[in-house]
Amino acid sequence: MAQVRLDKVSKSYGKLETVHGIDLEIAHNEFVVLVGPSGCGKSTTLRMIAGLEEITSGKISIGDRVVNDLPPRARNISMVFQSYALYPHMTVRDNLGFGLKIANMAEAEITKRVDEAAEILGLGPYMDRLPANLSGGQRQRVAMGRAIVRNPDVFLFDEPLSNLDAKLRGQMRVEIKKLHQRVKTTVIYVTHDQVEAMTLADRIVIMRDGHIEQIGTPSEVFEHPVNIFVAGFIGSPPMNLLDAVVSNGKARLSDGIEVPLPAGMAVQENQEIVLGFRPESLAPKGHALHGDGAALTLERTVVIAEPLGTETILFVEMGGMDVQAKMLNPRVVAPGETLEFTLDLSRLHVFDKASGKRVTV
Amino acid sequence: MTTTTEPLSRPGFMEGVAAFFRSPRAVPYLLLLPAMIVILAVVLVPLLVSFWTSFTSYNLTKPATLFNFVGLRNYQRLLGNEDFWWAFGRTFMFVTITLNLEMLLGLGLALLINKITWGQRTLRTIMMFPMMFSPILVGFQFKYIFNDSIGLVNNALFDLGLISQPIPWLVDGTLANFSIIFAEIWMSTSIFAILLLAGLMALPKDPIEAAKVDGCNPLQVFQHITLPFLMPFIYIAMTIRSLDVARAYDMVRIMTNGGPAGRTELIWTLMTRTGYQNSQMGMANAMGYISILLSIAFTVFFFRKLTAARSFMGGAQ
Amino acid sequence: MSQMSMEKPWQRWLIRFGVFVAMVILTVPGLWVVLTAFRPNIEVLARPAVWIPQQWTLDNFARLFGQSDAQQGLPVAQYFINSLVISLTSTVIAVVIGMAGGYAFARYRFRGKATLFLAFMLSRTVPGVALSLPLFIIWARLGIIDTSFGLIVVYLAVNIPFTIWLTDGFFRQIPVDLSEAAQIDGCTAWQAFWKIEFPLARSGLASAAIFAFLTSWNEYALASQLTRTTASKTMPVGLMDFTAQFTVDWTGMSAMAVLIIIPALVLTFIVQKHLIAGLTFGGVK
Repeated sequence: MAQVRLDKVSKSYGKLETVHGIDLEIAHNEFVVLVGPSGCGKSTTLRMIAGLEEITSGKISIGDRVVNDLPPRARNISMVFQSYALYPHMTVRDNLGFGLKIANMAEAEITKRVDEAAEILGLGPYMDRLPANLSGGQRQRVAMGRAIVRNPDVFLFDEPLSNLDAKLRGQMRVEIKKLHQRVKTTVIYVTHDQVEAMTLADRIVIMRDGHIEQIGTPSEVFEHPVNIFVAGFIGSPPMNLLDAVVSNGKARLSDGIEVPLPAGMAVQENQEIVLGFRPESLAPKGHALHGDGAALTLERTVVIAEPLGTETILFVEMGGMDVQAKMLNPRVVAPGETLEFTLDLSRLHVFDKASGKRVTV
Repeated sequence: MTTTTEPLSRPGFMEGVAAFFRSPRAVPYLLLLPAMIVILAVVLVPLLVSFWTSFTSYNLTKPATLFNFVGLRNYQRLLGNEDFWWAFGRTFMFVTITLNLEMLLGLGLALLINKITWGQRTLRTIMMFPMMFSPILVGFQFKYIFNDSIGLVNNALFDLGLISQPIPWLVDGTLANFSIIFAEIWMSTSIFAILLLAGLMALPKDPIEAAKVDGCNPLQVFQHITLPFLMPFIYIAMTIRSLDVARAYDMVRIMTNGGPAGRTELIWTLMTRTGYQNSQMGMANAMGYISILLSIAFTVFFFRKLTAARSFMGGAQ
Repeated sequence: MSQMSMEKPWQRWLIRFGVFVAMVILTVPGLWVVLTAFRPNIEVLARPAVWIPQQWTLDNFARLFGQSDAQQGLPVAQYFINSLVISLTSTVIAVVIGMAGGYAFARYRFRGKATLFLAFMLSRTVPGVALSLPLFIIWARLGIIDTSFGLIVVYLAVNIPFTIWLTDGFFRQIPVDLSEAAQIDGCTAWQAFWKIEFPLARSGLASAAIFAFLTSWNEYALASQLTRTTASKTMPVGLMDFTAQFTVDWTGMSAMAVLIIIPALVLTFIVQKHLIAGLTFGGVK
């Protein structure tokens, strides 16, 4: 059993505090992704859990042990580094078995475990190669293999896919997911890529400037972002966020368009708000995901069309900004063409402009 | 660290020190401790001793004079001594001339070798030949080659019918200076050539191609792209060289030992003569201090240029 | 090397000629000394000059080791052993101490780091000749003048700063990740160093060692003052035994020069790649 608990953990370098007293509880066998823009403190947090960074204040426990003062080797964790950190002077086999050898495990047992890991990751043919003679994807696999042979309580991943090209990244994402299903362990995974976060995580922790902004399942953070930052960060293409003023139960945009707000929304007349909707909530008539039920119809001129195959992203002007709309079953659209769009009113997100917080119904 | 302000007798101080050396913060200091002890014992303490003796009339033959404090007398005498000023000026000129010529010749050699595609590695290996020679060997070698009666140079000139009388390379004052400068350049040009060749090989192709597209001729490319890029390498070589300019002492010691009649006397040869032969250690140490300052001045000068050139390059890379 | 093709043939030949002349100047003096070491004295002193050796002889070397009937041998064997012992011992110790220091500079942040580094490098600028004066005084009082021990300690100080500089560079090139990964894999910091970082820095450390060895092997200014007798005289100091006021034993000196140059030659060839890299990256990057 290895749940991980962070209690008011903070990190300072001299006078500069980079992680501000965060609390986080991770359940046994849970896959948690820390995500946020660079410099948000996610990697520092991971390194504190690993024991590679000292904790300035607070408490970290793994299982029922407080590990604050334990060196990395005593924490029974393993870690996959962004650079993979494979030992360049050892073969794949020796890289995989290094941790076991240090632990003075019997030779036969080491061989057995290493072969098992190699089997899982399909490393069989490369066992006697040096890391320099492996491709990026293979190195990635060795790094993961090195992590799993030791049977750790917790798996830590520090941006493991960011050195791979886009195609390989997609493949490895699937492999990591499979691996987690096979080797049930607690996983803490750091990335700046929200797609990775969405696809891999049981729960996502969104961080910014050393604070946790929101913790939730992928669908929670996608459907109910607690503030403007999360709304803009999660989802691709990103959510359209437009400044608006409340007027008569409607949100009036700067160009005069009025979008009806759901009934019972806790807003006041003339309150400055930010109105959010995802590109898939705005579509040309007949090319939408949503029905015409609670929809607002708008005539808009297309500025740019980006065909992606199964869908086309249309940029149209709205509220003084270019907003993105998603056209399913697309036909060829020329810039300058005016189309009739529908906006799904049941999927609007409303945020208070001053506090940035979500306004609930 | 607050404990350090307390008097030594308090138990808290020693405990504080002990606690510090057990803490992780002490690790780098502990790692550096042996190195610091050695430098302290072999460089710093002797420098203090020589600083002290430079204010005494210490004479090797009269040990008691080590404590005969004479204030600035040694320095005053040195500053009023014509021989010293000649040696100082000659040393300064010697270093300036050789460093600059080595740099220019090294640059030329590097540019030439960079143009040669076939056998470049072999050429580079041959170029390292002088670097294997200890300065004393270089001195011996040129003492032999410039010897007026059996030296290679005179023999060759004789047999080619260019001279009928031997040229007194090491016996004539002017020629002797030429000879030691030649030997020094022979010994050290390779360092420049090798470092600048490394620089040329690391030279990014893109800016050169961009300059060519922009219409630069080869000379302009060299002036505006290649040379600025090479500047840090030039200053590294200069810094490395100025670190041990004083090794010219070994060479001159065996070639001329300051002669003929003091015409190749450098501050280093004058210093050892004063200290060991004339036993005037106090005076010699005063000179030693001046030579140390000279060395540091050269090194710091080029190191600052290097730092400036490096930060300048930072933007482009 | 795409510029190459644009040169005209005469330019190419001019370049080749220039390189050839430079190489001749760089190699001929040394080769001439080597040649002299294997020729009899008469031929070297002959007038007119004998260019092509008529006679080869090992007599000059035999003379160095007292194996010749013609002349009393010089204690060159002892000098050689002194040089070897002093250089090897000081190298091993300097590399161990310098490596610890270089590692501290490469891996730790601590107060006074920049100042300390500068102090080490400045200690290297003190000319050996100038340092020999006070060392002579102190070593004499300590009774370690004219001992191998005295010279070994001095060469430590000469070699440690440069070793620190080089190893700092080598350790910096090894990603910190590797040591961290090893610690997560169960190593102590000490194990992580010896099992991961040390093996990776080994070739760099080897060249640092060779640098240190060559510096000690070739050093003259300090050795000439701090050694007096066969008890501690090194090869470069011994070379001066051959020069009297008016006579110089050219063939004997040449033979000894060859003995000095051979180890230097072999070692420099081994490290030539590291030599260039070591000198450059420390400064530029």
